[in-house]
Amino acid sequence: MNADDWLRTLTAELHQRRVAADAARHVVAEAATHLREGGGDPWVVFGPPQQYAGAVVESIGTAPGPRPGPVRLHAAGITKRYGRRTVLHDATLTVRAGQIAAVIGANGCGKSTFLRICAGLMSPDAGEVTVSGRLGYCPQSGGTADFLLADEHFVLVGAGQGVARGPARRAGRAAARQLGWEAGGDVQARHLSGGTRQKLNLTMSTLSAPDVLLLDEPYQGFDQGTYVNFWDQLSRLRDAGTAVVVVTHLLNQLDRVDIVLDLTPARETGWHAPGIQGGRQ
Amino acid sequence: MNRIVTVAEMTVRELLRRRGVLLLLLLMPLTFYLIRRDAYLGQSVRSLLLGVGWAVSTAALFATTAARELEPRLRLSGYRPHHLYLGRMLGLWTVGLVISVPFFLLPMIDGADLRYGGLAAAMLCSVAVAAPFGMLIGALLPRELEGTLLLLTVVTVQMLINPAGSGAKLTPFWSSREIATWTVDNTDQGYLSRGLLHGFVVTALLALGVAAVASVRLRRRRHLRHLPVG
Repeated sequence: MNADDWLRTLTAELHQRRVAADAARHVVAEAATHLREGGGDPWVVFGPPQQYAGAVVESIGTAPGPRPGPVRLHAAGITKRYGRRTVLHDATLTVRAGQIAAVIGANGCGKSTFLRICAGLMSPDAGEVTVSGRLGYCPQSGGTADFLLADEHFVLVGAGQGVARGPARRAGRAAARQLGWEAGGDVQARHLSGGTRQKLNLTMSTLSAPDVLLLDEPYQGFDQGTYVNFWDQLSRLRDAGTAVVVVTHLLNQLDRVDIVLDLTPARETGWHAPGIQGGRQ
Repeated sequence: MNRIVTVAEMTVRELLRRRGVLLLLLLMPLTFYLIRRDAYLGQSVRSLLLGVGWAVSTAALFATTAARELEPRLRLSGYRPHHLYLGRMLGLWTVGLVISVPFFLLPMIDGADLRYGGLAAAMLCSVAVAAPFGMLIGALLPRELEGTLLLLTVVTVQMLINPAGSGAKLTPFWSSREIATWTVDNTDQGYLSRGLLHGFVVTALLALGVAAVASVRLRRRRHLRHLPVG
């Protein structure tokens, strides 16, 4: 990790930890000046960016987070069976505007099924979902057209919202840039790497400015920098009032979310995350 | 209307970029025509029309299968089912008409003596039927291989069945065969009108079938209630 990467990671960490924007800018500028004038490896001078961000938070505190808004997504009593096998039993989740909810659980416990039911792409055997506002959904894989360019995907999604081609392309490229990707190239989706294709997937889901954003492990294939940018973008969306639901199996990110829904059957694990809602108990 | 046109445009773009597949698909009508050319012009022209039908329906099958995962998210982006299937059909008809042009010119260049108005009508029927036919198979069968095998079976049955038998009218491309008879053999007007009617009815039925399957697959589910942002 060079100095630029270190500073980028520090910026993202400060943002994640809700350090006030002005204070974060000031801290990063000071660190950049120090590195430029004094030289040296930032890892030696300041230590890991996460650790330094932690020290900054301890020193200057954080900006108060916005209070959660009205309920945007309410899934109640979701039950789904495949033949005799019950995948989901009475799963319940409520997410308000300005909150991030993580759906976690072992492989095959119904995380993707739950999200598809919330998106209205699949019917449950029991239960109801209420969504306030516009819905965005990013599948785990697929969901793009192999032979279309990124810009053409943006135009296609934009047309669904009645957005003209130029603005749709610009909005798509700007959203892609948030993930560290310049999307305006002449490359068909099938020629993109797995990670970049997921960036396209994710960009498409945020393009319609959804009030509720459902993400099914969208970070597969992301490198470390993009992964940091991804959580950074989720925080920005949360701060802008979006209700975000993200399926994840990376438990080290749970301190960055407001609500956790664990769908692992209770007999398989004794552990329950704080803030757990519903799921199979 | 803008949504339908955008989906149609993207369908055309996608298909035209599948150059390898398109070339192989175009090879079939050409081979069909050339292989019977020395024997009997009528058979040659009928085979050509069947080949065009095969090519367009296979392209429709591929386009439909490829869009299977994309369509649900487009539905969430504001599209309604009819925007998606009508747009795709429009795009496929456009591609079908474009690839028909060289096959319409082929007998002309070859110096075949036939009613070219009839050939154009038969070609239009072939393309009109083929797009919703391939889409319907693509909508019902999730994998390209299964769909292609079914298409192959239909085309083979169409080729081997006795055209005078009542069962022949149940095959999708009977219309172009009937019009081709009028085109090549100078038969009475009844062949033309029967063919056009059959083509129109089959196209309408297939399009309705596509609409029904798409509307069910992309329906708004009952468990999901949308409220305006409060």
